[in-house]
Amino acid sequence: MSIILVGVNHKTAPVEIRERLAFSDEACADGLRRLVDGEIVREGLIVSTCNRVEILSATMTEQLETGAGRLAEFLDAAGRLPNGFLTNHLYRHTNDEAVRHLFRVASSLDSMVIGEPQVLGQVRHAYSVAVEAGTAGRILNRLVHHTFRVAKRVRNETGIAANAVSISYMAVELGKKIFDSLKGCAVLLVGAGEMAELSARHLVNAGASRVLIANRTEETARRLAAEFGADTVPFEQLDRALTEADVVICSTGAPTYVITELQARRSLGRRRNRPTCFIDISVPRNIDPAVGKVPNVFLFDIDDLESVITSNIREREREAERAELIVQSEVMQFQQSLRLMDVGPSIGALREKMQEVARAELLRQRKRLGALSTEQEAAIEALLLSTVNKISHPILNQIRRFYETTESDAPPPKDLLELDE
Amino acid sequence: MRSLLATVLAAYLIAAIHSILAFINKRRSVQRVAEWATVAGFVLHTVALVVDWMIDGHYPLFFLRETLSFLAWALVAVYALVLYRYRAQAVGAFTMPLISVLVFIALLANPGPSDAPATLSAARLFPIHTTLVIFAYAAFFIVFMASVMYLLQERELRLKTFSAIFHRLPPLTTINELATSSAVVGLTLLTLGIATGMIWSWNRYGRFWHNDPKEIFAALTWLVYLVLIIYRSTAEWRGRRAAWLGVLGFALVLCTLFGTRLLGGYHKFGLILGF
Repeated sequence: MSIILVGVNHKTAPVEIRERLAFSDEACADGLRRLVDGEIVREGLIVSTCNRVEILSATMTEQLETGAGRLAEFLDAAGRLPNGFLTNHLYRHTNDEAVRHLFRVASSLDSMVIGEPQVLGQVRHAYSVAVEAGTAGRILNRLVHHTFRVAKRVRNETGIAANAVSISYMAVELGKKIFDSLKGCAVLLVGAGEMAELSARHLVNAGASRVLIANRTEETARRLAAEFGADTVPFEQLDRALTEADVVICSTGAPTYVITELQARRSLGRRRNRPTCFIDISVPRNIDPAVGKVPNVFLFDIDDLESVITSNIREREREAERAELIVQSEVMQFQQSLRLMDVGPSIGALREKMQEVARAELLRQRKRLGALSTEQEAAIEALLLSTVNKISHPILNQIRRFYETTESDAPPPKDLLELDE
Repeated sequence: MRSLLATVLAAYLIAAIHSILAFINKRRSVQRVAEWATVAGFVLHTVALVVDWMIDGHYPLFFLRETLSFLAWALVAVYALVLYRYRAQAVGAFTMPLISVLVFIALLANPGPSDAPATLSAARLFPIHTTLVIFAYAAFFIVFMASVMYLLQERELRLKTFSAIFHRLPPLTTINELATSSAVVGLTLLTLGIATGMIWSWNRYGRFWHNDPKEIFAALTWLVYLVLIIYRSTAEWRGRRAAWLGVLGFALVLCTLFGTRLLGGYHKFGLILGF
């Protein structure tokens, strides 16, 4: 059996093409049932996200070319495109390369933003659709489960998902660096821009327990407050809110400083020096840069955040190199487990067959042995079986090793020794 | 007992190397090796101390060699507690190398005569006094470590240049809490240590205070940590300044521990480094 993967992603096809190919869950299940005919395409699975559409399938090795052609035609048809239209956008991987590709996709090494966590969930979902459609068989089951393991390993053993790479998530990262857990932290939004809203959402997901919103137009503040279960604060009472807030995200469109050094100092005094993290994502800046000089106050403006993100992306890329090594070694392991999957049962059958022969011989000669006690009889059988096992063990091991290391599709050992007649 | 102590050193060295590697690479598997090596080293070290005690017949905290070894042992114990309570693995990368060095010097140091302290350590209070003080110093070392980590971390946050170190250090408030609670524990132990020392001295010499350098330094140390704790608890002095105080306090601890060997005085019993 061979594994084929055919698809497009954000690097090979523009969004106009990807959106035509995108599968809904039902379309996915229907398509799979049509595609998997049990003859040429034996198993199938479709991963469809906004950045990629890929079909993974298993075919008989002799029919690899035909199978790959089927998959390409299938994608053309799915996008209602003329035959061969996608040729320049499609990539095609077979066997080890296909396995490696899937491992890389699920580990988020092939993503637009390296290390983003969604793609693994999308692969998991694709698999459950294929299972329901009944198109995931022996090979794909094994491959997908191995893929989950690889993705988990990459996540645990490398730092590709460790550091924030978006402005909105930086607030969480900085908060965690200062406050340990964000549980019980209060967040103050000064200005209710989209970015501030997104940051606050991340902070709440990370455990922040209280959100305060101060906005010039109270209408907007109230709308947003309803969404978060937050409290609104009149702009004139900003000082009071500053006292309470551990993380302050400022994003008003004001042309001047909204928070001055004096305000920051006063609020810090009232907070009994509990540290505060100010994040200023507005341009022009809304927080006086002098605020950053106050002890126990940490101020980040948009440029600071950008530069941290740049260095975080570089860090992720460095970690991705280590992840590639993990993927590489896992591809080799998968290869091996696939071969053993074919060989394992036949070796077991071989061993049983040999034991059977021994038992049959004993039965045939039993009369000549005369009267024996139960123990003696058991001892003779044990002796025969252990002799057979001891003699066959190294030979069976040899066979197993041969299949583990060989590249060819040699016939399974049962046929090899012609024991089945 | 040298061979046993050498094994202990080997375990601590493995722990130190793996702690540093884990600090640089943030690998869980490496960290696990470091933690197991620490545990193994600690168990062996405990055995070594007990065996020393039985063979030499006195509490193994008297001569320089014993003191260093005991101090290292106390540091490992305190570090293990910190690891357990705060999961602050970064501490290991700083602590384990120092512990290894202490054990190494202990290995090289002159074992000293084994019968000399019999008269001094006969009183029960003496080993209690020394043990309390050693553990107080170990706690103060953690305060020092936490203070240094705080200053590093705070500097990175202020300069906004997040180096590799930044991602490995625990959050500011965690470090702060670690420093404060270690200071409280350390001060309590030191207070008890000084008190038992005074009682011992009263029983033996009929006076509490000998005005020798070690006592004066110890009193100063005690004062610095008291100020540190008071300021921290009233929240007047959170953060950087408190961290600097933690560093200063530890400088005094070092003076108390080793400085008096150079200055002489009542606490110096001949060849030995006593307390």
